[in-house]
Amino acid sequence: MSVTYPESLGGNDAPAHDGTDSRSLGFFDRRRTIAPHDYNRFLVPPAALAVHLSIGQAYAFSTFNLPLSKLLGIDHAAPGDWSLVEIGWTFSIAIFVLGASAALFGRWVERAGPRKAMGIAALCFGGGFLVAALGVAWHQLALLYLGYGVLGGCGLGIGYIAPVSTLIKWFPDRPGMATGMAIMGFGGGAMIAAPLSLNLMAHFKGPASNGVAATFATMGCLYFLFMMFGAFVVRVPPKDWLPGGWTAPTLPQKLVTRAQVAVEKAWRTPQFWLLWGVLCMNVTAGIGVLGQASPMIQEMFAGRVSAAGAASFVGLLSLFNMGGRFFWASTSDYLGRRNTYFVFFLLGILLYAAVPSVGRAGSIPGFIAIFAVILSMYGGGFATMPAYLRDIFGTMHVGAIHGRVLTAWAAAGVLGPVLVNYIRQYQIDAGVPKAQAYSVTMYIMCGLLIVGLLCNLGIKAVHERHHHAGVEAA
Amino acid sequence: MTIVRLVVLWLIVALPLAWGVTKTLQNALKLFH
Repeated sequence: MSVTYPESLGGNDAPAHDGTDSRSLGFFDRRRTIAPHDYNRFLVPPAALAVHLSIGQAYAFSTFNLPLSKLLGIDHAAPGDWSLVEIGWTFSIAIFVLGASAALFGRWVERAGPRKAMGIAALCFGGGFLVAALGVAWHQLALLYLGYGVLGGCGLGIGYIAPVSTLIKWFPDRPGMATGMAIMGFGGGAMIAAPLSLNLMAHFKGPASNGVAATFATMGCLYFLFMMFGAFVVRVPPKDWLPGGWTAPTLPQKLVTRAQVAVEKAWRTPQFWLLWGVLCMNVTAGIGVLGQASPMIQEMFAGRVSAAGAASFVGLLSLFNMGGRFFWASTSDYLGRRNTYFVFFLLGILLYAAVPSVGRAGSIPGFIAIFAVILSMYGGGFATMPAYLRDIFGTMHVGAIHGRVLTAWAAAGVLGPVLVNYIRQYQIDAGVPKAQAYSVTMYIMCGLLIVGLLCNLGIKAVHERHHHAGVEAA
Repeated sequence: MTIVRLVVLWLIVALPLAWGVTKTLQNALKLFH
């Protein structure tokens, strides 16, 4: 399914090696990144992974929460130190800006090409850490919000979509596996960042500082370099390129289009909003649990799981979150995208409904197994979405459309934790024992997944009147 | 030459990830002790 994009669409029809003097083009010019026809496409995923492994640090931001609340007191919270609520806003702003910037800059990312986008993402994300380091050093909360939240959030949004749309174009035969590889990096980034942050803070800690500012500055530089490595090695496929020995399926598939839909039209179709609902419901159910996993296991099995044990449980969930991204997205190449989401919703409903019974039975292994599968499907939902969008809208503006769909993540980021936290608190205030306070939440999660299931059920092929006339699919 | 490049590029991203996964697994295994 190779696609010819006209110049006006930021196309791929002017490779630097076909007559254009590549020296006259800037390093970040899209045309400088067009690969020769015999280029090995497996050289490209490391570029995507470098960016996603870096920006995945966002999931580990909570490792800074306690140290940031003790900047003045060093080993205790002193008067004037920031509260955990104030610090918590940094992550919320970053995730909100991620969704907003992915939606706003998605079209630009398609036009500018992945190298420029990754370079800008590196500048924003690395620069955001440096501004946040100043905020910590001068104890200015607004600078922390501005640096990590706003600037870093822009790096997150642009860095998230640029590699994904590039890989989809390199792997038309395995789009799920390709996006799974990249987005797995986002899950894995937290696993690198958490121990890295702790080691750096221990290294920089002194009598007058707990080392957060120096850690931020160091991480800013490291992530900038690692993301620039990605920008340096990324390539886009040449015009009419297809994987060797592969031809696009000749038999039409019901939910895999050979046409292209422009982003301006795509987001006005019912399919876009149904897919938005699918992602929002899947993420809401997972993110609420992820944020409360540690207290949940301690309260449901009071006296049997320590705080350290709960932290290990969270680590285990991160592994399944990461692994699920690659596993489920790759599986979707065989199952089909819609069927994969049916598995997420149906299995998710069964598993969430089983949690209260497993809690009452006191089965910790059962509880861990259930949440491991749930979190694998949470990650899988993120990783399968770009391939689903490509199936429905084509590859032409898949990055920009993906950017707009990611606003569902921002909405879920608010909805999920609010549902879990407030319902739990309401239950406890009403006199329900802490061990049982999550039962209603689990049933509400089942309800959300039913809504997602219905959205998925409603997805049909996009009507021909939305197809882009100026683009031909080979 | 492409093979060498392929191995080097993948190692650059795989090594930090392997380090992070190992650290996480080490912590996660404590849950079962």
